[in-house]
Amino acid sequence: MTTKKQDRKIALIGWSLQSIEAVEELQRPYVVVSMPSFEGYAKKYGIPFISWDFEEIMKETPMEQVYEKSKELAQILKEAGVDHVIPIFEDTVEWAGALNALLKENKRDFHHSLLFRHKAKMKRRAQIGGLKIGVFEEARSKDEVREFLRRVNDVLLKNDGEEYDPIHIKPFSKAGAVGHHVIRKEDEIDNSLTDDLFPCLMESHLDGSQLSCEVFVHKGKIKFLNITEYVEFGYSMMVPPSPTIEGKRPLVRKVVKQLVETFEIENGFIHPEFFITEDGIINFIEVAYRIPGGNIFDLIQESYGFNPFKAHILCCDPNTTEKELKNFFPNEKKVKGYTGSLMVYPRVNQIKALNIPKELETHPGFHKHTMFPPEERKVPEMEGFGTPHGVVFFHHQDSEHVKPPLMDFNNHDFYI
Amino acid sequence: MEVQINQEDRYEQAFNKLNNAKPYAKRLYQNDLFQETSRLARSFEGVQVLYRYADQFDQAGVFEGGPWEDPSKLQPNLVNLSLRIEGIESIVTLLSELRMLSIAQGRYEHEKVSADMAKAYLNEVMALNLDFIFPEESEEARIERSEETDRAENLFKLLVEEMTLVAVSGTLLEEINRLTAQRPIMVNRILLMIQKAEQLLHSDVDEDKRKEIQRYHDATSQLTPISQEFPKFSDYRNKLKEMTDKELEKESKAFGQSMRETGLVSPYHVVLVRFLNCSKAELVPAALFLNEKGAASLSENAVLVNELIKVAIHLPTRQSLYGLARMLERGVLSHHPVAPGLRRLVELDIKPDMAQTLLEAFTEHEGITANNVMVAGVLSVLGQPLGIGQGLNPTCQSARALSLWSIHDPGYLLEQIPRAARDGDITMTFEGQAIHSKNLTGGLAPDLHKELDPVSLILVPHLDRIYAEMINRVQFRGDDPHRWVNPPFYGDWVPRGFGKVFDHLTSNITDYGGFVRLFYATHHPDYNEGHELIYPNPVGICVTTVYGKMLGFHAITIQRVAKDPKGEYRVYFYNPNNDSSQNWGQGIEPKVKGNGEYEGESSLPFHEFVSRLYAFHFNPYEQGDASSVEDEVVEKIETLARESWGQEYLWIN
Repeated sequence: MTTKKQDRKIALIGWSLQSIEAVEELQRPYVVVSMPSFEGYAKKYGIPFISWDFEEIMKETPMEQVYEKSKELAQILKEAGVDHVIPIFEDTVEWAGALNALLKENKRDFHHSLLFRHKAKMKRRAQIGGLKIGVFEEARSKDEVREFLRRVNDVLLKNDGEEYDPIHIKPFSKAGAVGHHVIRKEDEIDNSLTDDLFPCLMESHLDGSQLSCEVFVHKGKIKFLNITEYVEFGYSMMVPPSPTIEGKRPLVRKVVKQLVETFEIENGFIHPEFFITEDGIINFIEVAYRIPGGNIFDLIQESYGFNPFKAHILCCDPNTTEKELKNFFPNEKKVKGYTGSLMVYPRVNQIKALNIPKELETHPGFHKHTMFPPEERKVPEMEGFGTPHGVVFFHHQDSEHVKPPLMDFNNHDFYI
Repeated sequence: MEVQINQEDRYEQAFNKLNNAKPYAKRLYQNDLFQETSRLARSFEGVQVLYRYADQFDQAGVFEGGPWEDPSKLQPNLVNLSLRIEGIESIVTLLSELRMLSIAQGRYEHEKVSADMAKAYLNEVMALNLDFIFPEESEEARIERSEETDRAENLFKLLVEEMTLVAVSGTLLEEINRLTAQRPIMVNRILLMIQKAEQLLHSDVDEDKRKEIQRYHDATSQLTPISQEFPKFSDYRNKLKEMTDKELEKESKAFGQSMRETGLVSPYHVVLVRFLNCSKAELVPAALFLNEKGAASLSENAVLVNELIKVAIHLPTRQSLYGLARMLERGVLSHHPVAPGLRRLVELDIKPDMAQTLLEAFTEHEGITANNVMVAGVLSVLGQPLGIGQGLNPTCQSARALSLWSIHDPGYLLEQIPRAARDGDITMTFEGQAIHSKNLTGGLAPDLHKELDPVSLILVPHLDRIYAEMINRVQFRGDDPHRWVNPPFYGDWVPRGFGKVFDHLTSNITDYGGFVRLFYATHHPDYNEGHELIYPNPVGICVTTVYGKMLGFHAITIQRVAKDPKGEYRVYFYNPNNDSSQNWGQGIEPKVKGNGEYEGESSLPFHEFVSRLYAFHFNPYEQGDASSVEDEVVEKIETLARESWGQEYLWIN
């Protein structure tokens, strides 16, 4: 790569105002590639924009064929002077892989990106790398799920009508918790699994506290490792994690290093999830190559004082210098406080009012929340956890003022 | 105070973040600012803080990308509704009005909106939002009271402070006229409006309006040249001593006439009447501007009235002077139990907590006792039975009871008052069993809003609990509980026949046409074989908004059915919410004057009234032929009902 970085553009694949803000502040030349619906907004504010209808194309394209489908876009980007592209969301990861492969004339980049998009490929690769995972298989039908459930419980010696150990079902290519089902009984297979979930990954159940890592990698080295504790899975998280988990940081770092090497991450950002048991066994769940959900970047920013959106762009850029990164990242140990977020989902079908308890705003750990009284309306049905209707943020020097309210207020009905 | 500072800091932080963001990213930071705005706007001081930032709102991008971005496109008539809408809309509207204010005040220059344009806009906004400037005590205001309306009231307090009300003087006067026409006992809101209107006397309002404002201003203060010359009450009193009979008579008539025209009492009038009561009693009728009947009643009960004036008519309780005049003209004192009932109150041993409540009802209560306040309150209630209001409480039934008893059973009312004030208990018999209010908890208004007349303060907490208890006892009988509760609660003259719209178990509407016909056949003089309505009829109505949308159930009393000056039959009714000329949508607007109403009455054309009715009592022995009511009449009413409150219910038939 001989071109000077200031002349070569970064293309952001997906629309994120935070990332646009970050790339502008870094004064990197850039262009946003996203759905046509954002074009008007981009034009109004002079944001360099290339319109590309990913959704329309994906309707009839299996992800394995994205490479072929992205040649036209790659040509457009090449002509626009783009050096490399950065995926923002889960479903632009393989596009970014294909585009980078085409821009750098190295098809391997595309196949590499599929490791993060295909859950069975991901597990296989992790297993090859020696990461600890559950027993897994791929299923194409409900019968195969039934077989797997029986086989797993057979070796766990639960043959005589004992309660089964659960198995987990995840469609190959959906983001986060979308499509995730836990199967405990055979009749649940028929009752709760729909055809669109197949093909899917099946995996035995693993125990432990759940956490995620936000790993900023450059030239194959971990530049910053954040650990996020999932206080109540799907509802609340905290950065940094409780002291007991934080104490295992060296262990976590070791596994993350192994993961980076196994998946041959050169430049960029990964967001793996793990279970960690009390005696320090770390089980790998999955890994994403994109910005995490659940406001984790906001939590990192609040706790560590740097802008993770910028870090994301810096690490994805092979042209970023060692010195830039050194000045950018703070010491992982020098944390400004604990920050937690509680995602609020209505538990009623029809929202009548917002119900903010008085104790919330006077809680020592309370930072802010995003909820406004809604007009009366129906709650749409959601897959996975969907978009929360509101988020409550806590921040305090003492994790005891952050973690307990994340659990306590999760029992409160904010929408009635 | 510390909280306020903390909130200001939080606001400043949110503001700076938004201010520093690039235009395309403003929306990432707007919500945090709106959150902090809603926290600050809970107090008036907070709104003042917000206003300090108002000239920078545009530059910071507060409205970036939203419908409020361009102030030249905003419409004054949308503001009232926007301010009431829960959530972001009301918050942004508030900020938008503050931006407009800073343009109007020359603190901020906008390329499309000049200071004059902003002033014109805000004047229109103020004229359309008198309900926020002078918060109402109506049923609607009570139901719709919320965080949003509190914020809006804080906003308008600032607008009124910063702007002038000149441009809205016409609307303001109309509002004062409308409210005084109803002759309420509680006049705080009217006085507040007059006080605000006084600011306009020194500005360039037109001559007619100036005269009107001056009239109201004088009625509540220095009405006569002498009171203007001697503004100190003691000086004024000394001057009275020196005056000739002729001069005193002139002074008396001036005050008496003004009081009768406006329903408002000047404090100088009190000084005058107390003086006359001691030294020139023969002029008291002139000072009260009594008609013949009133003067006769006064001379018949001269000793008692003399004592009542001494006890009850003081500067803080001055409005009771109007009550006294009206009471005399109603001839209530000739009811046998009334005179001794009143005398008993003068030295009644009032429970200490009750006494405290009564005194606290007046901000200036130096030199008066709880008994003074109580007797004053009774004069008002006996003189202005239709001026009793429920205030901000959901207690229309209790207010209605006081009004009914004052009209038809003042002796009974005078029995209940000492029971409650002295014994802390009221007893009513319901289906053979005595119910004691002191044994009951709860009721509709456990936290009574205290802006009420003294008699309501004494009785409403008891009545409300008893009413709730009676309802509880019959709620599972499978029909509307009011059917059994109203006669024992209000009085046995409430007839036993009961017509209603809703099926009790399903809340569906069945046989609406039959309901309408029954009401016509029992209440409309053309169809009920000429039976007159002798006792007021406590009925239930569905109150609707200006858009005809169901707002809630409400208890009112039909006072009479009669032809108006144009020869059209109207229902004249008492509405305990003291703001009786609300707009109920579909062109249905109860009127308070100009259509043959007596003081305190509201009225509607007969069919319009029926379209809001959902329950009434009738005498089954005094019923005309329901089938003679024309189909077109029934259909017309059914359409009005279906298209308004009826939209919330299922119609079966």
